[in-house]
Amino acid sequence: MISTPRYLGRGSWLGSRDPRIPIVVGVLAAATVIQIWDIRIVAVLFALAQVYYRTARIPFRLVRRQWAFAIAFVSILVLVNTILTGGEIGNFDQSDLHPLFYLPLIGTPISAESLSYGATQLLRFLTFITIGFPVAYAIAPGDLGPALARLRIPEKFAFGVDLTYRFVPSLASDLRETIDAQRVRGYEWDRGKGGPVARIRRTVPLIVPLTMNAIVGAEDTIDAMDLRGFGTGPRTWLRELRFDRSDRGVLVLALTIFVAITVASVLGLTKLWVFPPLLTLAAGRL
Amino acid sequence: MSSMSMPRSMWGVDSRVIVYAAIGAALYGVLAFFSFVIPGSNNVSIRPAFAIVPFFGYAFGPVVGLFTGLVGNAIADQISGYGLLTAWNWSIANGLVGLIAGVLAAGSMAKMGGKIVGPAIVAAVATAVGLLFVFSDIVVFGNDFNTALTGSYLWALVPDLIASVILVPVLVLAWEPLKESMGR
Repeated sequence: MISTPRYLGRGSWLGSRDPRIPIVVGVLAAATVIQIWDIRIVAVLFALAQVYYRTARIPFRLVRRQWAFAIAFVSILVLVNTILTGGEIGNFDQSDLHPLFYLPLIGTPISAESLSYGATQLLRFLTFITIGFPVAYAIAPGDLGPALARLRIPEKFAFGVDLTYRFVPSLASDLRETIDAQRVRGYEWDRGKGGPVARIRRTVPLIVPLTMNAIVGAEDTIDAMDLRGFGTGPRTWLRELRFDRSDRGVLVLALTIFVAITVASVLGLTKLWVFPPLLTLAAGRL
Repeated sequence: MSSMSMPRSMWGVDSRVIVYAAIGAALYGVLAFFSFVIPGSNNVSIRPAFAIVPFFGYAFGPVVGLFTGLVGNAIADQISGYGLLTAWNWSIANGLVGLIAGVLAAGSMAKMGGKIVGPAIVAAVATAVGLLFVFSDIVVFGNDFNTALTGSYLWALVPDLIASVILVPVLVLAWEPLKESMGR
């Protein structure tokens, strides 16, 4: 029911890399993909992302639900966005579009350009998600703090992220207990009648005790940190991180792709590419 | 110890701030499990967990609020499968909601209307202003202004506003006596 971040890349090639690699590759990939609207280039990056993802050897059966949700969510998002644009596509002038048909009732024109735009948007999202999965599943939870700290992220922020990942499983367990405890009293948050306001109010018996218990319990952690002199000097990390040859190779590849795409984008080579068969189809309607 | 003996500023980062921030982010991530679609809407879902962001900003300050929204939203996205970095600009928008709630809580707005209306106003203003950052979808995802307004901003604002205005005062009412008994 309630999922928590799990370390599923143990023993894999990517899981054996320096934990900074999935983070840096994720950031570089995000900065790269947002510059591209040509689906042919996005497709190449998506294929590379798939190869990269497979090196993490994340068992599909354990992330099937997450993949299903992600694909369904981005599909709905792209579909809704395509409808909401009312036929407007980026910098295209309405008169330059090649309409294929009009949506019944709302009359939004579906053109060769809007379908190409939607397909590109979908593939861009899937590339983001493919690269993002290893950040969550192929970094050992205990490595996240030192990895962020070594990336020059302020050490208190890095420690905060580390602490957050440690709190998630225990809070998820507390939430399960709270749900069970309320169920014994005959309470079911997802049953009963009423609109959105009534449904939000029904979450109060879960959210309030869980939040208040977590805040009260936090005092022990604060005391433990204060007793160890947290924040009185620079923090050191037990885990030492060092790039090896493979790590450097992955970094150089990701950086090279980023630079190449940035140059191509500046030269105007990454603009929306419209599928020729759709243009032919639209021309046939005229 | 540093957090006990020094006077605490709104922007200071000590052990207390870090632990509350981590608790807030983890709570947001875990509670994101509760969401439901508004009947008859275009797949607009309400996440009651969003109220955790303005509440932590209101109760513990802008730094805690910023971290709760920023990291909590990223973790919620990751747990649900959407990906930690896919919508990084939405995580920043969530962080801004917590930050603004923290700043407003220190001002006169929070004192208007007592312990129910004041927190509700702070949560509403923080949500409306902080979520303006989702207009960065225009740059990140190549959306046009109309899509960013109707498909991103209003899509997020309406359900988040409903959740915040209802739940933040409830959380503040539960927190106030606890705060006093803990000597905060």
